[in-house]
Amino acid sequence: MNRALEKQLNLLDYTLASLRRRKLKNLGIMIVFAAVIFLVASFQFLTASLTATAQDLLAEAPEIVVQKMSAGRQEALPLSYLAKLEGLYGIRTVAPRIWGYYFSETSGANFTILAVDPALMPKGDRLFQALEGKLPGVGQGEVVLGSGVAADLNLAGRRSFSLFRPDLTLKPLTVVGNFKADTDLLTSDLIFTTPDAARDLFAIPEDHCTDLCVYVANPREIGTIAKKIAALLPATRIVTRPQISQTYRVVFGWRSGFASICLLTALAAFIILAWDKASGLSAEEKREIAILKVLGWQTGDVLLLRCWESLTVAGLAWLLGCTAAYIHVFWLDGELFKPVLLGWSVIHPQLKLLPAVAAPDLLLIFTMSVVPYLAATVIPAWRAAIIPPDAAIR
Amino acid sequence: MFLNIWSLALTFCGAIAVFLIGVAARTGWRVIRYWDPASDDALQIGLESETWLASTLVEYGLALQILTLLLFVLAADQFSHVIAGAMCATGSLLADPFGMPTLYVKLAGVFLYGFWLLLHQLDIRVETYPLVRIKFIYLLCLLPFLLVDVTLQTLYIAGLKPDIITSCCSVVFAEPGPDSGNLMGIPPRGLLLTAFYGTIIGLGISGGLLGRSKIVGRLRTLLTVLFTIGWAGFFFLALAVITAILSCYIYAMPNHRCPFCLLKPEYNYIGLGIYFTLVGGAFFGTSTGVAALLGRHPDLTAQTAHYRRTAIKISLLLLIIFTILTSFHYLRYLISGGE
Amino acid sequence: MADADNMILLDAVTKVYNQGRLNEVTALHEVNLAVPAGAMICLRGASGSGKSTLLSIIGCIIAPTSGRAIIAGKALSRLPDRFLTIHRRQHIGFIFQQFNVLPELSVLDNVTLPLLPLGVGPAERRARGNKLLAHLAIDHRANFPAGQISGGELQRVAIARALINDPPIILADEPTAHLDSKLSREFLATMAELKREGKTIVIASHDQLVTESPDLDSILDVKDGRVHVS
Repeated sequence: MNRALEKQLNLLDYTLASLRRRKLKNLGIMIVFAAVIFLVASFQFLTASLTATAQDLLAEAPEIVVQKMSAGRQEALPLSYLAKLEGLYGIRTVAPRIWGYYFSETSGANFTILAVDPALMPKGDRLFQALEGKLPGVGQGEVVLGSGVAADLNLAGRRSFSLFRPDLTLKPLTVVGNFKADTDLLTSDLIFTTPDAARDLFAIPEDHCTDLCVYVANPREIGTIAKKIAALLPATRIVTRPQISQTYRVVFGWRSGFASICLLTALAAFIILAWDKASGLSAEEKREIAILKVLGWQTGDVLLLRCWESLTVAGLAWLLGCTAAYIHVFWLDGELFKPVLLGWSVIHPQLKLLPAVAAPDLLLIFTMSVVPYLAATVIPAWRAAIIPPDAAIR
Repeated sequence: MFLNIWSLALTFCGAIAVFLIGVAARTGWRVIRYWDPASDDALQIGLESETWLASTLVEYGLALQILTLLLFVLAADQFSHVIAGAMCATGSLLADPFGMPTLYVKLAGVFLYGFWLLLHQLDIRVETYPLVRIKFIYLLCLLPFLLVDVTLQTLYIAGLKPDIITSCCSVVFAEPGPDSGNLMGIPPRGLLLTAFYGTIIGLGISGGLLGRSKIVGRLRTLLTVLFTIGWAGFFFLALAVITAILSCYIYAMPNHRCPFCLLKPEYNYIGLGIYFTLVGGAFFGTSTGVAALLGRHPDLTAQTAHYRRTAIKISLLLLIIFTILTSFHYLRYLISGGE
Repeated sequence: MADADNMILLDAVTKVYNQGRLNEVTALHEVNLAVPAGAMICLRGASGSGKSTLLSIIGCIIAPTSGRAIIAGKALSRLPDRFLTIHRRQHIGFIFQQFNVLPELSVLDNVTLPLLPLGVGPAERRARGNKLLAHLAIDHRANFPAGQISGGELQRVAIARALINDPPIILADEPTAHLDSKLSREFLATMAELKREGKTIVIASHDQLVTESPDLDSILDVKDGRVHVS
């Protein structure tokens, strides 16, 4: 057993010396490989981080959202629906919500206007922690702005501005607070106000709202309660928080997968290069192998040597690529690939990505990079190993 | 659900495995057709060289099989986040009829590749290469097995439907079913635990006895059979006990009976240690029986005897580590006053 | 002489390359050869005469097509390459034409190359290597890159490498081809010493200095795949 381990260590030692002897060629391969791994790893880290961030932020979202559908499209929901939900066991509270999009013609940006009574949200008393300033008071036309909106409106210290109602009259609004930067992913394009101010702005009737936020006591009951609501209110669409969470995951996963397919072409090109490089033996390398064989090295020993070489080059490239990707995503905010994953919009949230790398992610990247490299180099390694020893004595 | 990096990785590995074993099988076919140890021509020398390639490819295949087994479970865990009603890997594997069969086939693959490598290592230690034909016929059988593996995996991935928001009016909701986090119902605990620890003790005793050279003849044969069958049975028993009983103590949740969440970072990847020692121990334990069968060939007696001694030692060592890893949380619970 | 007394025994050995094909070539025809243990012989022949093939068979690099070849007590015929290699590394030490050292490796690393796949640890390798280098009076060059030492020193490195596994048979292929007469004589003196230690030595050479050496027990002429005692 000891001899077997010593033999592996000896071969590894010889491998490292051999790689050092052909520094340029091996370093070249390693750097190109590391670049390909960097691309794949960046996507994987970005996806993991965005998914984790989205999950964190969604944790406080309502468990169920009820929307009224007509002819397949959403329309305002009558507040009388609230009464129908009263009897359902397991619902903590229901908060009517008004929201919509306001298109700013000057900048081409879409603002999201959102209005809900914090008293009806289970953790509404903590909402003030997300902003600097105060929450909007009832009947005053007060708003809290997200950072992207504030930048877009270019208020320059002014507290008042106006938006157009549907009949093109102006609705005056006063800024009483700003959302903090770390809530940017959710609030960047947000204008938060009171339900009456929102109704006024969008000309929504007093007895209607956009949708209902249903807060449920036991998260395991979400599906059951959603089913019951669907039975009680047939012309509605019920969206659950797990579904939103899953959708984000699928979207990020899909985009990441799609981008990975594009990167596969780069990987494939590299694997072909690796095969080619491994296949081409110089006369000197052939001579070296023939000498080793005459000196008593088995075909298997030489094969092992070549496999160790491949593993070392690939392993180092993997380490280098993953490290570079980590730096790129978490120090440089993934600048190269953010647009692919975050999509297009005029207002982009300032996003600080938090590291969310786990061992399975690293294993995944290893599988997509090192494994195909080893598979591509095994047959060339064998071809090198079967060089006959008598080539050394001719 | 192919457009997902985990699905891509699994599909990729499957393609690579088919390539590697395909090339190895080609060698196998050539050896079966043309192998002639009495011949000295270039073809025979070429075939001898190719056996090196075949064995290296099967070694790669084994490593890949172990990797894809792990990857498959990790992927199932990732998929559970987007499949309705799935709480963890158990849920996503049960969500599709091909999930568990794929897992079983992958697990069997680890043993099958391992046995081929055992056959090969015994064969090349004897100058007459007595097992060469059997070995390569066996190799040819590995290829269809691998194709079954890859097909099941592909069907599983293709059948997965992520639960996302749709635009329709009403959606069918999947509530977490009564046992969506549980692979097995609640079995007779006392019986299972007795069988579990009883088998461990039995394997320890029979393995220890087999290590003594004074045990010969029929007694030795009986002990070998007991040891081999014992390990084979213990493998399945251990999986059931881990799933149904011991995993709850590791999760500290009486209703979470899942064999896969043990592999997650939250539990310090203890599952890796548990399954590595279990599969490794079961492989070496059952391979002693295989080696004993091969030892009947006069050329292989010495080689197989040496292998069996080593394999028994390794399997017992892995058994000890396995027992510690699986029992630690249960014992800690009992000692700290639970129940 | 009985088989057991012969370190090298070839009985009607024939080697055919590419048998049954258009480019079939018979390199050796029914060669008979018996070399007792502790003898030193010379194989003389032009290139293409079958000398390299004969050397390869004696060196356990290839097995014969037909006939009996018993080297250091082991019959080579029908032996797979794997076992040929195992036998070769235990019983044959090679000294190549042009010495064939790896120039970027140190002298010590070159000498201990045969020990790597045997799982010999670094400490033991260093000890065995240095002992041999000291015996051949080049231990002061142990850590020099082999590409930077002189021809005479290279010769001794090659000999040390051939001796590292303490093999009973030494094969040297045109060892003096690139040496001046002084170094050639030094080489022959070392071979004579090894012969006195009981090693069996086969030198393939057409250098007059070698063929006229008084320590040679016999000279074999190889021509057209056949061997004649000179």
